[in-house]
Amino acid sequence: MIRLENVSYTYMSGGPFEKKALDDVSLNINEGEFVGVIGHTGSGKSTMIQLLNGLLKPESGKVIIDGTDLSEKGVNIRDIRFKVGLCMQYPEYQLFEETVLKDICFGPLNMGLSQKEAEERAKFAANMTGLPEELLDKSPFDLSGGQKRRAAIAGILAMEPKVLILDEPTAGLDPAGRDEILFKIRDMHKRMKLTVLLVSHSMEDVAKLADRILVLNSGRVEMFGTPSEVFAQSARLREIGLNVPQITMVADRLRAAGADIPEGIYTVGDCYRILLPMLKR
Amino acid sequence: MLKDITLGQYFPGDSFIHRLDPRTKILIIIAYVVMVFLIQNFVGYIALALFLALCVAVSGISPKYLIRGLKPILVFIVFTGIFNLFLTPGEEIWRWGFLKITVEGVRFAAFMVLRLVFLILGTSLLTLTTSPIALTDGMERLLSPFKKVHLPAHEIAMMMTIALRFIPTLLDETDKIMKAQSARGASIDSGNIFSRAKAMVPILIPLFISAFRRADELATAMECRCYRGGEGRTRLYELKFGAVDVLGWIYMAALLAAIIGINMIFGKF
Repeated sequence: MIRLENVSYTYMSGGPFEKKALDDVSLNINEGEFVGVIGHTGSGKSTMIQLLNGLLKPESGKVIIDGTDLSEKGVNIRDIRFKVGLCMQYPEYQLFEETVLKDICFGPLNMGLSQKEAEERAKFAANMTGLPEELLDKSPFDLSGGQKRRAAIAGILAMEPKVLILDEPTAGLDPAGRDEILFKIRDMHKRMKLTVLLVSHSMEDVAKLADRILVLNSGRVEMFGTPSEVFAQSARLREIGLNVPQITMVADRLRAAGADIPEGIYTVGDCYRILLPMLKR
Repeated sequence: MLKDITLGQYFPGDSFIHRLDPRTKILIIIAYVVMVFLIQNFVGYIALALFLALCVAVSGISPKYLIRGLKPILVFIVFTGIFNLFLTPGEEIWRWGFLKITVEGVRFAAFMVLRLVFLILGTSLLTLTTSPIALTDGMERLLSPFKKVHLPAHEIAMMMTIALRFIPTLLDETDKIMKAQSARGASIDSGNIFSRAKAMVPILIPLFISAFRRADELATAMECRCYRGGEGRTRLYELKFGAVDVLGWIYMAALLAAIIGINMIFGKF
């Protein structure tokens, strides 16, 4: 579905503040996969996701979405953007319309859909994100923080993209709002067969949701594997300024103290299943 | 597009120019601007160019970077040149239909373009070598004698500081919003002028809202730290003139004398 081939990107190329954001990145993401993207601030996460829908153009290398090479001539970049829905950080700052419904319709109308069709999609998307129907006629600026966030995500979802990229969708939300949005994202992933890329700083969230985890470190792919593969390397993760889920830390400590616990534990459930027989003994 | 704006950018450094007191630099730049308009002939501009080149060399700012600052107003410069070239009355040297070029027009166009370029380059050098804080500090001190006539010097300086401080922030914000709306299929850089103007709405509304939100937050933050204007306010770093400043004034006086001399010797044009 998504393929990057030796992609590099440099900010302020040639200037005094030149900064290499991505350095020779190659990876492959399959259709219907849920990928968690983690990395220290400045590791190239945001740059990478902006390359995926053509907001940025790679300095070298190829970005291939659904078989289309974005750098090829004649590729309509807007079609790619409808296919790859990107929800930026703090998406509520992009709301601008008079009503929530109109705002969610912005994307679908840009796709050239009829008003009726756009509204249908908007209502469906609002429902998917858990936005109550009676809010749709309100001004987006009267909503609460969590509701705004949902309205903005619905605005992306209403374009019915094949790939949904979310850059820290839960930043700045309270725990209840956070869990609900994550739950909705998982729900959408399952029900709509969406390919999802979730950028997050929370190891717990990524561990819970992702099929595979992509770890970026100063513009390079550090690891790309299943959660248990990635969290088995907790020492290396800490070295590059990341963390592991708390339960992994507990397991690591127990192992260091001599308990016979395998590496790569990342959910409380797994840990429980391993610890219970030990405690019974 | 937004990357070209170098206004308000500052390159930290420790050159002679960087070490000058901001008040000295502001006074020098005022003198410089006066000179740009005082100069009557091209020899004077050569002298000024030499002076500017020397300043740039000393400051350690890359000349390429300084010249890039001209890019945003290139259209303006070109238009000024063309208008003056064709619309100045005088002795005709070339004519095609209703278009005519006069000797005076050529001179005038060249002068206007040179003046604009010199103004931009000089003031860019000032902002590139002076941190915005130092600049407004200097401005406040220079304006403080006028406090006697109820000029709110501190408030003016504070407003300038805040405005300068928020230029990069708002540029960043604009960039983000543009990207977010492009991701929803907004086409910002295509179509005719009306559809382009309409396409600005999804960018301007969030931008305004965020600007007001930031202003609100800043006001609260300032009040939380008991800010209440300039009355009786002392400062952490007092501005002091040093030996470098005296040197700076001497150089400037020498240049001023040279320019006036050149004007008298070579006359007009």
